[in-house]
Amino acid sequence: MYVLLLLAVAATLLPFAWMLLGSFKTQGELLRRPVTWWPQEGTLANYISWFTELHIDKFFANSLIVAVVTVLGNLLFCSMIGYALAKMSFPGKRFLFLLVMVTLMVPGVVTFVPLFVMVSKLGLVSTYPALFLPFLASPVGVFLMRQFMLGIPDSIIEAARIDGAGEFRIFTRVVMPLCGPPLATLGILTFLGSWNNFLWPLVAAQSEDMYTLPVALSLFSTGQNATNYGLLLAGSVLVITPIVALFVALQRFFIQSVAATGIK
Amino acid sequence: MSTTSSRTPLPPASRSPRGAAGPSLRRRKQALVAWMFAVPFVAIFAVFMLVPLVSSFAMSFTDFTSRDVQNPAAVSFVGIEQYATLLANAQFVHSMLNTAYFVAVGIPLTMAVALALAVALNSGIKRFRTAFRVGFYTPVVTSIVAVAVVWRFILQPDGLLNTILGAVGIHGPDWLNSTTWAMPSMILMAVWRNMGTLMIIFLAGLQNVSTEMLEAAEVDGANAWQRFTRITLPTLRPTLLLGAVLLSVGYLQFFEEPFVMTKGGPLDSTLSISYFTYNQFGFGKYGLASAASYVLFVAIALLSLVQFRALRSKD
Amino acid sequence: MFKKRAALSAPRMLHPSATKAAAIGLSAALLLTACGRDNGSGSGSTESASPIASGPATGTVTVWAQGAEGTALPALAKEFEAANPGVKVNVTAIPWDAAHNKYQTAIAGGTTPDIAQMGTTWMSDFSDAFEATPSAVDTDDIFPGSVKSTDVGGTKYGVPWYVDANVVFYRSDLAARAGHETFPTDWDGFKSLAKDLQSKAGAKYGVALPAGGADSFQRILPFVWSGGAQLVNKDSTKWTLDTPELAEALNYYNSFFTEGIADKNPATGAGAAESAFVNGSVPMWIGGPSGIGELEKAGGAGFADKYKVALVPKQKSATSFAGGSNLVVFKKSQNRDAAWKFIQWLTQPEIQVKWYKATGDLPASQSAWKDPSLSGDSKLAVFGDQLKDVNSPPSLTTWTQVSAAADTQLEQIVKAGKDPASALKELQSTADTIGTGR
Repeated sequence: MYVLLLLAVAATLLPFAWMLLGSFKTQGELLRRPVTWWPQEGTLANYISWFTELHIDKFFANSLIVAVVTVLGNLLFCSMIGYALAKMSFPGKRFLFLLVMVTLMVPGVVTFVPLFVMVSKLGLVSTYPALFLPFLASPVGVFLMRQFMLGIPDSIIEAARIDGAGEFRIFTRVVMPLCGPPLATLGILTFLGSWNNFLWPLVAAQSEDMYTLPVALSLFSTGQNATNYGLLLAGSVLVITPIVALFVALQRFFIQSVAATGIK
Repeated sequence: MSTTSSRTPLPPASRSPRGAAGPSLRRRKQALVAWMFAVPFVAIFAVFMLVPLVSSFAMSFTDFTSRDVQNPAAVSFVGIEQYATLLANAQFVHSMLNTAYFVAVGIPLTMAVALALAVALNSGIKRFRTAFRVGFYTPVVTSIVAVAVVWRFILQPDGLLNTILGAVGIHGPDWLNSTTWAMPSMILMAVWRNMGTLMIIFLAGLQNVSTEMLEAAEVDGANAWQRFTRITLPTLRPTLLLGAVLLSVGYLQFFEEPFVMTKGGPLDSTLSISYFTYNQFGFGKYGLASAASYVLFVAIALLSLVQFRALRSKD
Repeated sequence: MFKKRAALSAPRMLHPSATKAAAIGLSAALLLTACGRDNGSGSGSTESASPIASGPATGTVTVWAQGAEGTALPALAKEFEAANPGVKVNVTAIPWDAAHNKYQTAIAGGTTPDIAQMGTTWMSDFSDAFEATPSAVDTDDIFPGSVKSTDVGGTKYGVPWYVDANVVFYRSDLAARAGHETFPTDWDGFKSLAKDLQSKAGAKYGVALPAGGADSFQRILPFVWSGGAQLVNKDSTKWTLDTPELAEALNYYNSFFTEGIADKNPATGAGAAESAFVNGSVPMWIGGPSGIGELEKAGGAGFADKYKVALVPKQKSATSFAGGSNLVVFKKSQNRDAAWKFIQWLTQPEIQVKWYKATGDLPASQSAWKDPSLSGDSKLAVFGDQLKDVNSPPSLTTWTQVSAAADTQLEQIVKAGKDPASALKELQSTADTIGTGR
């Protein structure tokens, strides 16, 4: 079993190994055939240019700001509406939930242009809000939070209500502390989506100061007729590393929460 | 909103706190509080999701083009003409068939691989569990732009895959340039990118499989395969269906792999509905592109509905 | 404030009130202020822009430029700012990858910059949003073939910034071994060179030619034009694709594949073409000036002596493809006077030479080519010669669609063995359905 798993994981990670090794190669070596495996003329130049002349730190900061705000916003808003949908009754509840779920099935490409027109009419183009506002309300988050909260016993909430606690107090003191796993899941998923998003930040950011990592990656490595592969590979390694680290840190919660939400 | 509808009977509330005895004032107050909880999400959702959605839906019944955005007075209402044009377009029909092929092969394959991985990881191994999980999940977290370059190197005629095949005596094809093999290559990539998510969902589902039952079956002389098909699979059924729904929503919108690898070619053999739509947006034919998106939406909704029904019937 | 483009909407108009209701509903849905553009873009009619104010440029000029151009421009713009103390140039670099998307959405959202770098083939896609070139902007010194690319429907929009032409790259060392000391000038000679490279100089394929896929038809246009074919009629009202000239060009082109001189499935991976050129397995291709730099990297020191570049082979003419980029000013620009001044400044010969030295972009200004840094380079000189005979695809809004349809047909000819004549018939009928947008 170990042998099989090891083989499988090696096959899965092979592309990453090649990416990592490639990031230490020169453009000349990457263009040469036959393809080399180990760098023949290893170089740190690709990484050096990212950190010096290309100021990756600036784009990194932009990506981080956008991702963190998107994550925090989603955690807050989705758990709030999730609580209302799971534990309260109000007119329009079923319709609201259905509406949110239906939008999950609409292809994203269709709203792209209208969304941009909307953002520009609101005067938000090339601001941070333009980069995160449209992503603060994710239907997946609502689903995840609602499903998990359905599983919280009513008796706990009832007890708090009898004790005279208001709904906001119940939400912050009773419900949220129980929601670690789905919050971790939603956090990872939202962070991933925001971190890897390319087309929207490209369009919504109209000055280089606002570019995020994927946009910068494409800007500096892909020319009209030629691609700087070494730079692209090194940049990819730099983009991937933080999210892999994040997943390693949170993966335990992640699996727990899927176990708690997905199977209902 | 909440006050006007207070007289109408509430939808069958799953957990009405004090049952019928609760005074309507209390209900009304709870409705108000509930909407306060919902409002931040609903506001953003309405502005950045619903409005664009509704306008794109309206667009699909007009001859809207990119030139009309700044001056929409010139747009004409054309009814279902865009939809009719679409279904008469051979390229669109081809893209529907391609998407069906991708979904029909991709979903079962991804699920089988993910299930195999989940079962293997759940088979009592102790060491490196985390490392394995992270390893199989890494492709999920990686942006497609970053891995596209690497996959090109893998799939080119003298690339990694053909080198490996060559070692066992198989002469591999030119994957991305063959109308026969381009789509399987896309499916391979999609399996690689999506198996991690499903593996985790299945791992979670496997926690529900009763170890006592498995042990009892083993005592009764059932072999591993019998235990798997008779006990594990039936328990996993809802989980499998959930995975299928998630995958079908994603796979029907299949776009990124051909976008970075083949540009829909060769001979449109990897052109998906989403890709077709993307091209129409590029040509500025917003009306037609919107119509194509809603055709796809109907397909996704139908497939999900079928699967949800199946899921519910087992409860 | 509502200006109807009656010519376009009339035939399909159902009911005036229904149309209006739909339009108003849409504009409400999109939150549009309906009087955004009052400059009715009459399709087909020519436009002229108001003259440029005199005096030095002032205010802020925002420029969007793609990739390497975008990253190199700020340094050059500093000189313009020094010469015009009241002006500030803000450059935003845009990735090539999705630049078309970016312009499309920016125009839709009304958030365009003052100046943008436009690929020559994108002009007609977005010309509605551009300001016509004022008559004071002098383009006499610019290569006429490139100036033609700024012309959409009889009106000129913008000025060529840098140029690019496709020429033949070939391994002169291998050609000599195959018995060709000089490069052939006509179609027959070109083919026999490719054949000999294959049979006498050990090449796997004689020449690399596009076999389909995005923009492949655009890349074979040198053969189309050199064979005397034109894609549209004189007044651009009808596509002329099903013609004997085009059929002859395609037959000639396809013969490279049917005779096994060119690969039907050329490798597309990173560096595949370069390495095949360097190792001699495919020692000839048709491409632009960026190939020089790529080959330098792939071939290493001394490789520059092993290959040469040459004019595209001649049939009725030796016409190549005018690539490169133009600079345009958007109608929505708040500072169009300064914007045009900046463009005028950028296209002066001495600035063009500086720009060439900074980026390697070939000058659009013909007099800039007299500078020794260009005229002294034997390979670049060929590009300079080729630029005297270049053409651009029809600047029609529907060209991208027709060209995409042509890509499909080309791919079917090359890969699926479709007969060029019937492919052209089909292409013609598709193109007729799409129309010329006039």
